[in-house]
Amino acid sequence: MSDVDLTHDAGLTLDGVSAAYRGVTVLQQLRLTVARGELLVVLGPSGAGKSTLLRVVAGLEPVTTGRVWIAGRDVTADRPGRRNVSMVFQSYALFPHLTVAENIAFGLVVRDVPKVAARERARTAAEQVGAAHLLGRRPGQLSGGERQRVALARALVREPDVFLLDEPLSNLDLALRVQMRAELRALHDRLGATMAHVTHDQTEALVLADRIAVLRDGRVEQVGTPDEIWHTPASRFVAGFVGSPAMNVLPGSGPIQPSGAPPAGMAGEREIGFRPEAVVLGEPDGAAATVDRVEVVGTDAYAYLTLRAGNPVVARVPAAHRPARGDAVRVGVHWADTHVFDATTGLRCAA
Amino acid sequence: MLAPYLVGLVGLVLLPAAVTLALAFTEYDLVNPPSWAGLANVSELVTDPVFRVALTNSLVFALVAVPLRVLLALGLALLLHRRSFGSRPARVAALLPTAVPEIAYGLLWLWLFNPLYGPINQLLRVGGENGLTMLGRTPPQWLTDPTDARAAIILMSVFTMGETFVVLLAARRALPADVYEVAALEDATGWDVFRRVTLPLMAPVLALLVVRDLIASLHFSFVPAFVVTDGGPPPYATTYLSLFIYRTGFEYLRYGYAAAATLVMMLLTVAAVVLQWRLFRRYRAFYRL
Amino acid sequence: MGGRASGPPPLSGRIGRIWRALGSLFVLLVFVPPLLLLVSGSLTEPGLPPSPTPQVIPDPVSTAGYRQALAVGGVLRAALNSLLVAVVAVPLSVLVAALAGFALARLAPRRAALIVVASLVALMVPATALLVPRFAIFRVLGLTDTLVPLIAPALLGTSPLYVLVYYLAFRALPRDLYDACLVEDMTPMGIWWRFALPMVRPVTAAITALTFVFTWSNFLDPLIYVYDRDLFTLPLALRSLSVLDPTNFPVFLAGAVLATGPAVLVFGLAQRRFFHHDDQTGRNRP
Repeated sequence: MSDVDLTHDAGLTLDGVSAAYRGVTVLQQLRLTVARGELLVVLGPSGAGKSTLLRVVAGLEPVTTGRVWIAGRDVTADRPGRRNVSMVFQSYALFPHLTVAENIAFGLVVRDVPKVAARERARTAAEQVGAAHLLGRRPGQLSGGERQRVALARALVREPDVFLLDEPLSNLDLALRVQMRAELRALHDRLGATMAHVTHDQTEALVLADRIAVLRDGRVEQVGTPDEIWHTPASRFVAGFVGSPAMNVLPGSGPIQPSGAPPAGMAGEREIGFRPEAVVLGEPDGAAATVDRVEVVGTDAYAYLTLRAGNPVVARVPAAHRPARGDAVRVGVHWADTHVFDATTGLRCAA
Repeated sequence: MLAPYLVGLVGLVLLPAAVTLALAFTEYDLVNPPSWAGLANVSELVTDPVFRVALTNSLVFALVAVPLRVLLALGLALLLHRRSFGSRPARVAALLPTAVPEIAYGLLWLWLFNPLYGPINQLLRVGGENGLTMLGRTPPQWLTDPTDARAAIILMSVFTMGETFVVLLAARRALPADVYEVAALEDATGWDVFRRVTLPLMAPVLALLVVRDLIASLHFSFVPAFVVTDGGPPPYATTYLSLFIYRTGFEYLRYGYAAAATLVMMLLTVAAVVLQWRLFRRYRAFYRL
Repeated sequence: MGGRASGPPPLSGRIGRIWRALGSLFVLLVFVPPLLLLVSGSLTEPGLPPSPTPQVIPDPVSTAGYRQALAVGGVLRAALNSLLVAVVAVPLSVLVAALAGFALARLAPRRAALIVVASLVALMVPATALLVPRFAIFRVLGLTDTLVPLIAPALLGTSPLYVLVYYLAFRALPRDLYDACLVEDMTPMGIWWRFALPMVRPVTAAITALTFVFTWSNFLDPLIYVYDRDLFTLPLALRSLSVLDPTNFPVFLAGAVLATGPAVLVFGLAQRRFFHHDDQTGRNRP
């Protein structure tokens, strides 16, 4: 799991990085690599250390152990301004007293780039994010989405080695978030830049990422492509965190017996996980359950069931064929659709 | 629930302001009822050399002391806004002179400035001979030389910038951390951060404080001049507008004339308030406050 | 992650911290000595010839200055008068300010804005500009040479600033809580006393302290309204000490210490409130 092949020549490498905030360890021996030109999404619940991870890369927080490499350089001892990274903050962090153009050009101006050149590059950057028409305005006159674009333009104007994006979409409303998500992905493909993007939104992660790193309590729980994360979650935690409603996890010994051939390695204390869409209602030799409540979401419906043994199970069914509250149903699942976890460690067993 | 305050506002501020306007055109000595004097007071003010000196003194004091006070307060706020070793006691220390009662503060400086007994000149004389400083110069005659006396009053007032300091400290702490992090990522130097981030972000507060302090300076020069220099050295080196009004009214019992001078002071205040209002409007458009 | 404190990141870490510590030390060295000298000067033996070098610790240490100050200026009587004024004016002033601030916060925005602007203007007027007309008014009312004019500013909340501070504090309370009180059918007075006031206790503490400091230190008002020595407040009594011969400086410094003591004490107790954000911002701790 954490045995990632670390190469220091990647776009970004964290090699055994620990960090503490107010004496509490936030990152623990973190090992992570972002390839050049890759968009890695760091996903985790709040408090998992996602933001701290970005801030450590940027040099805004010190590491207690380990080293940070950016584009083949060990930058652990460098101050933020020497790391050639740029960051988009959740709050956008625009300077209220500067115009959009001045905001974008800020990094160039303090680096003594000549004014004319700085203005030209700011315009180019603004065009790339579709903010060229905003150049003369001030942040106070912009909507959330526009501020977001300006913050992006400021991040890319300097052509940094790594882009760090700290929940940049979380302050936008849903429709805008979906749109910006697509634009962000397109921008990444156009620039071919190395990006580390932090979010707690699993949909955003699945849609946006080349690879996802799932973070839990300051450790990397799993790194993989969105497909890998979805289809072969490395642990009960990843399985539960990715997917909504969350995956059903039941004791392997009892309440429900999947049909088909069981996988190897079912010995010992095991837990079986299966997603709501894998649940089959009306399986004749399935486990008996009653329907507690039904939520209809458009064409789908989620049925919240209680097995006779008392375990809760969520099933996704077509809305047209949904059961009613209080119905007695039989619940089945195929071994092929299950994930088996070790009951004590929570880690995935076998394939 | 608002009533007592409204009574106070009307009775102690608005009504007195109106009374000033009326009294300014009368002759009034407390004994006889006020008698109408028309524009006599105003025309006398225009030609009164003492008034002119007092007005000049007040303006010069404001133009020298206020920038010093605000700059000191700004420097202290930027130095002490973060926790570091000793920052807490230093903050309290910077506020203390402001907490000392004006009159006690005046008495303290009356002694500090004393040419013979005062610790300041004692310190300046260390290493020198025959009452001269180490460089062989006469120590400042704080309270007898006009320039030194004015400097003394300014020095006294610089120490009491506590209120301005507290406001600037709060303003600096209210600035968002993330814009400073952006600056750090862009490798901005300390000077760049100050010039391009901190100063412009604090400009609205600074501007308002400067105007406020300009107005307040009409008032806070009173006790030092009254107690420490007694308006002197002769004839009127440290007679400020406030002291002039006090003397005219309460010592020479010319209340009408004092009211006319007060009117000038109020006009200055109004000018400052208008300036402040315009600044406020401008910044509001700027920052979308 | 929430709760990021203000202040730039650790730019140059250790070196920055050392500079800041040196800066703090320098501030202490500039601002503390005058007050130390005040205390040490007051403990010097009166009537001695000037010492050739500055003395931080007087030799001999003597309390004669204090004894003479109490004997000469009617300082004790004056201190009692000051206390009397403070005991009446401070609670009254805080009450007025808290009530007015609350009423403003609950008033329709337009009317509140009018009073806020009036308060701001009143705040701007330099105190000396009101000396003459206020005196004339109190004179007409026959209240000069009493302690009433010294208590009267309490009707303004001592300074309109405090009314505005209360206004902002009350306005910052969540609207829902006011609505909840209204649903419970509480009277405005009840809401003020049982809900709003307890919510802004730190503000009340700070304003009470500042009101005390200003009332206690008030020099200008007694100067023009009070002539009867029996009604002198402490600052006014101190003034009569200022005409003493320079050799007697310990006497008037002793008086100054007596006047300064309570003000600085109350101020010191309240200063935490001015900086009370401090402890929530733990990020830049050394």
